[in-house]
Order: sequence, then C-alpha cells, then structure tokens
Amino acid sequence: MIRLSNIHYRYPDTNEFKVLQGIDLTVDKGEYLLLCGGSGSGKSTLGYLLNGLIPHFFGGTLEGVVSIMGRDTANLTVEDLFSTVGLVFQNTDAQLFNSTVENEIAFGLESLGRPAREIEKEIRRTAAAVGIGHLLDCSPEALSGGEKRLVAIASVLCLAPPILVLDEPLAHLDWQGSERVRKILRRLHRRGTTVVVIEQRVETVLSDVTRCVVMDQGRILFDGPPKAAVSVLRDRHLLPRYPARPALEPANNPGDSEAEPLLRLQNIHYEINHKPILHDVSLQVRAGEILAVVGPNGSGKTTLIRHFNGLLRSQGGDVVFRGKKIRRAGPSSMAGRIGISFQNPNDQFFKTKVADEIRIGLKLSPEGGEERFGKLCTLFHLQELLDRSPYRLSEGQKKRVSVASILAVGPKLLVLDEPTVGQDGRFLEALSGLLLSLREKGMTIVVVTHDLEFAHATAGRWVVVHGGRVVGMGTPRELVRDESLIRMGALHPIGPLHSIGAEGWPGGRGSGNRGY
Amino acid sequence: MEGDPGIVDIKQPNSRTCGTKLDPRTKLALGSMGIIAILMTGQTVVLAGALGLLCVGLFLFKLAGQWIRALKMLLPLVGLVFVISIISFDVETALMLSLRLLDLLTLSFLFFHGMDPEDLGQSMRQMGVPYEFCFILTTSLRYVPFMGTSIRRIVDAQRSRGIDLRPRFRNVPHFVALLMPLLVQSFVLAEELAMAMESRGFARTERTLRKAYRISLMEYGEMGVALGLLVVYGVWGRGLWG
Repeated sequence: MIRLSNIHYRYPDTNEFKVLQGIDLTVDKGEYLLLCGGSGSGKSTLGYLLNGLIPHFFGGTLEGVVSIMGRDTANLTVEDLFSTVGLVFQNTDAQLFNSTVENEIAFGLESLGRPAREIEKEIRRTAAAVGIGHLLDCSPEALSGGEKRLVAIASVLCLAPPILVLDEPLAHLDWQGSERVRKILRRLHRRGTTVVVIEQRVETVLSDVTRCVVMDQGRILFDGPPKAAVSVLRDRHLLPRYPARPALEPANNPGDSEAEPLLRLQNIHYEINHKPILHDVSLQVRAGEILAVVGPNGSGKTTLIRHFNGLLRSQGGDVVFRGKKIRRAGPSSMAGRIGISFQNPNDQFFKTKVADEIRIGLKLSPEGGEERFGKLCTLFHLQELLDRSPYRLSEGQKKRVSVASILAVGPKLLVLDEPTVGQDGRFLEALSGLLLSLREKGMTIVVVTHDLEFAHATAGRWVVVHGGRVVGMGTPRELVRDESLIRMGALHPIGPLHSIGAEGWPGGRGSGNRGY
Repeated sequence: MEGDPGIVDIKQPNSRTCGTKLDPRTKLALGSMGIIAILMTGQTVVLAGALGLLCVGLFLFKLAGQWIRALKMLLPLVGLVFVISIISFDVETALMLSLRLLDLLTLSFLFFHGMDPEDLGQSMRQMGVPYEFCFILTTSLRYVPFMGTSIRRIVDAQRSRGIDLRPRFRNVPHFVALLMPLLVQSFVLAEELAMAMESRGFARTERTLRKAYRISLMEYGEMGVALGLLVVYGVWGRGLWG
C-alpha cells in the first residue's frame, strides 16, 4: 500500500539539514499505524510525503522513492493523490475553509467532478457515519474543537480514500472527544482502510493500533507491535515519566487551609446571550499550592480563569485577591499579581529575540533587573535560546519562553491554561518538574487542563468543573475514585494503557509507583 | 458506511436565509443599486430618511439587536469621520458624510446578513466568474470571524502579561504587540490553508457546480423596478443629490 525506500528530505532554504534521513517503511493494506516521536522528529513531514505535498507543494530536495499503491508519487500530483491518500491536518481552522459543514464535506467530491445528486447523497451518508448530521448547516466557526475534528475527518472520509493519514487528531480534544475520534478510526480500520495516525498523545491511541513506528531526528528508531513499543516510548520519554510529587500536605504548606487564601472566588455567575456559562462558582487558591482546574472541554474552565485577572467581569459574585475585592482593576494592572499564560504561546510573541520577550516583563515589574533575568533564564533553561526568534523555537521551547515572560512581571499567582496541548512527553515531564520547583520557591500555581495524568503528577489539589459548575474539590486520590464524577463525564479513569497490559504502566506488569 | 450508527435527522440546508428567497445575484444587484443611490445623495434629510427605512428593514428581518451590537464597534469610525469632516469642512457636511457612512454600513450589514457567502460565490461562478476569484471571495468572508477571535485572543494574552492595549493614545506603541502575532499567524494560516486546499483537489479544473441558481421572473422584475427608480433618481432627482 505504502512503500518508502531510502528517503532523505530537506526543506527548501534549510542549508544541509535533512528532516528525514534514510527512511525505509512499508505499510500493508488494512494496517493501523501509529507514527510517533518527539517534537521535530519528522513525523508530520513523513505525512506530507504520503499525499504528495512533498515534494509538489513544499519543494525541497527529496531522495529515494515514495510509492503509493504501486505508483511513484514523483510522477503524480497532489490532485492525483488526494482521493487515494486522505490527509487530515492538525490545524482544523485551516482545514475547514468553507462556510458550512455541508459545503466542507462537498468540497472534495466537487473537486472529483462527481454528479451533484451523488454528492448530496454522499454528504448525508458521511455525516451520519461520523455523527455530525445535525451540524450540516453550521459554520465551522461555531463548532467546538471536537466537532471541528470530526468535520475535518468527514471532509476527507467522504472521498472513501483507501489510505487515511491523520496529523495529531487528538490534540486539543478531551477524553470524550478523543474517544469519539478513536471509535471512528477503529471502525474504519475494521472495514479495511489503512490508517496512519501521527500523534503525540501515544498513551491514548497505543491500545488501538496494530503497529507502532517511533521516529527520532528524522530516522525510524522502532518499528513493531504496540506492546513492544512501550519500553522504547518510555526510554525516549514519549510516554511521560513524571517526577515524584513532594508530599507537602496543606498543613505543612505556607498555604495552610486555615489561612486567608491568596485568591477567593465567591458565587461567580457569568452568562453570554442569556446562556449561563458559570453557575455560582466558588473556590479558593491557597498560597503556595499547585491547584489543577480539571474537566472536559467546554465545561467553563477557561472562562473561569479569565475572571481571575479581570479579563471577564462576573455578572454576580466577587473575586478577592489577598483579601481585597478585584473591582475595576484590569488585566494589565493585575499582571504583577496574577499572570495568565494562555494555551497558544504564539499569541504572545512580538519581539525578534527571546531575550527581548523576557525583558518586556521585567520592565513592567518593580523588581526588574539583570539578576532576575539571569535567574529566570537559568530556571527555564533559556541561555542557549536568548538570541533566537521565539517563532523559530520548538513547541516546548515556546511554552518555556511564554511562561518565563509571564513570570518576569513578578506575579504572585501563575495560571497556566492547557499547557500540555500539543506537547510531547519529554516536555510534559519537564513542565511538571518546573512547576514543582516553582512551588518549592513559594509560587502559587493554577493549572487548567483536561490532561488528568499531568494534573495528577503536578497538582496537590483539584477543582473539577463540569457544565459551568464546580462538581468536585479535593485531592486527586479522592477524586479519581469518585464514581459519580466519572459517570457524569467530569472525569475519566486514568491510565488508558491498562487495556494492553503494558510493561511499566500503572495496572500493567511492572507497574510504576503512581498507584492510582 | 451505510447502516452506521449516527444521527439521521438531517435537515435540508436552506442557505436562502434572512427571510428572503432572493437569488444571491439579485441581492447583489439590489444592494449595489442601493449603494449607488446612497453615494449619489448629499442631502442630510434624505440620508436620514434612508437610514429610517433601513432601520425598518433591520426590524423586519429581526436584525436590530445584532446591528446595535455591531454599532458599538462601528460608531467610533463614524465619529472619526464626523470629527475629521468638521475640521476639514463644516458641521453640515460632517453630518451628511457621517450619515452617508452610517447608511452604507447599515445597507452592507443587511446585505451580508441576508446572504451565505458560499451562495454568492457559487452563483457568481454560474455567471462565468472564474472559480479562483469566487473562492477567494467566499473564503475571505469565512475567515472574518476567525480573525476577530484571533485578535481577541492575542489582546487577552498581551493584557495578561501587563501590556496595556486599551484604545488610548499613550498605548499606540503597544499595538505592535497585537499586530506582530496577528501578522505572523495570518502568514502561517495562509500556508496551512493552501496545503489543505491542495490536499482536497482545489487545483482540479473539472469541478461540479453542485447547486443550480435561477433568477426568477419576479426577481428580474424587482431588479428592473429598482434600476428604473435609480435612473429616475439620477435624472430627475438631482435636487436631492446635494
């Protein structure tokens, strides 16, 4: 079905750096392949090879032969290949360029010149199969992240391609969204479609696939059954091995539960167009703790933290920081007290050098100075990056710069919104360690995430948000055992690799010490 | 895929929205004639009357609420035109120019809310306009709200790190913190969009025109009447031009 022979590839204008180096890979009909590796390992590049974007769209220098169903892609165009190899991109905002879901599904079929009547039938058949029939009239802009992903899959699936390649289909999705996508992919695989999934969240998809290929620095490091891949994935830190969380209980903390909390939200109510987003939410953030706000996508987590620094004003209730109500203070003036790092670090960068990005924060801080600059660079391992453009960094490096630039302003409370999205296991380990070391230095941290493994490894206390309400509060150990939270969909059981009984995974043979 | 579990109650999409059943080309023609008439008019009273009529249209199509929300962003622009015109001309001219702008904005709002951009592009394609042009038109309209969301996200991220982006004169130098990320993200999006389009056969020449659009006799009649009124206004209504 797919045969790559001795592939070497270099993007244009990248000197002698080869993204792919000597790749040999054969994928047979009906295989379900997981292609994984750290950031910059060449996974997505390999995906672009399969549908001819490389070399026909990107250019560059390609050596070796890429053969799809017996045909050399060098002699074909992307238009020749698009109905054979369906490629679902990571960025759904780019993939969904039509004004309605119906037109989105129709686009590829129109390109093929299929008769209008047949297209109408196919739109409905595909939409029903993916479970998005009720969304046909909607604009992609109005959809949730999970729905967008399903529409992106449907837009390619309608062409019934024998090979389906998906680039990070689970990024941005919570466990419910992931489960929906995984179910569709499993069904496609059962029906004989060759499925290639390029994914960072290996632990989620590993139990579904029939084969796992691990890439590192443009080479194939491992190629074999998923069960055998676990030890390689652990060694390469693609399955995160989080540092042990110091057992600092609240009683020993600077943030004793009896003391005045650093931040207190009292009966926060917020609605948009008469639709309630947050109902009567109350919570406390104690000084010196790491608090995780967990819950599925769309539960109101990000809306909640936007109240912390005045980005949103509640329509009822109060936000109290260090005993004083935040009334008219705006986010810019609050930055010295509460710093929020949002999901996409690219929203922050506007300087040509990393050092300048950090210095902006220092200028705004009364404690600014070269000493603090040096400390931040050491803490976040930025010395090597200071003269580089923030836009040219890896995703993990960008996140480090983004958080460092927020901390440069000198906030007492650091809030991270979905910091794990799109990051590889190595970065997740590093981030967890970094947050724990910040906590040891007395920083108070709130992490908003739907990644329960990360939240478990990092935070000593959780607040569970579901449907705009706080439905649970306590230690992770208590909450992950709460069946009612799992039943209502607010949480899910941690440890998806149980199903393959993998070596070194909790619940599997040689289980680690996390013990949940 | 037949027989798969899924949602089966699929509604037949009706892109002819906003309470009108007009062909997109008819709407485009009527809208263009309206714009020409407004541009020809230079009398404040007539422009105010036209605004009144347009407001009636907003109420009829139940768009008044949305229009008022949109005005929050548009009124500063109208105000700016008023101030510049007062400085350059006089109060009467400033009032006329501001009203004319408000009329144009209201008419455009009615026009775009009554039409699916995809319908407009498809119907223009049926008229023989090259597909690439129609696609650019519809895609740019598709990404207007997306860019709005991106701007809001960037503003929130920058304000959360202490960069004041409120619309104040002293904050003008700070706006590079909004423009740079927006520019870079737009370039990245453009490349990813091009890849996605290529990967779904955009470059193919034999595309299906899925929907057939037909201008009814009644619509031809409506366009004829509107054109007639415009000609009459052009020839005999010069007194109202100002």
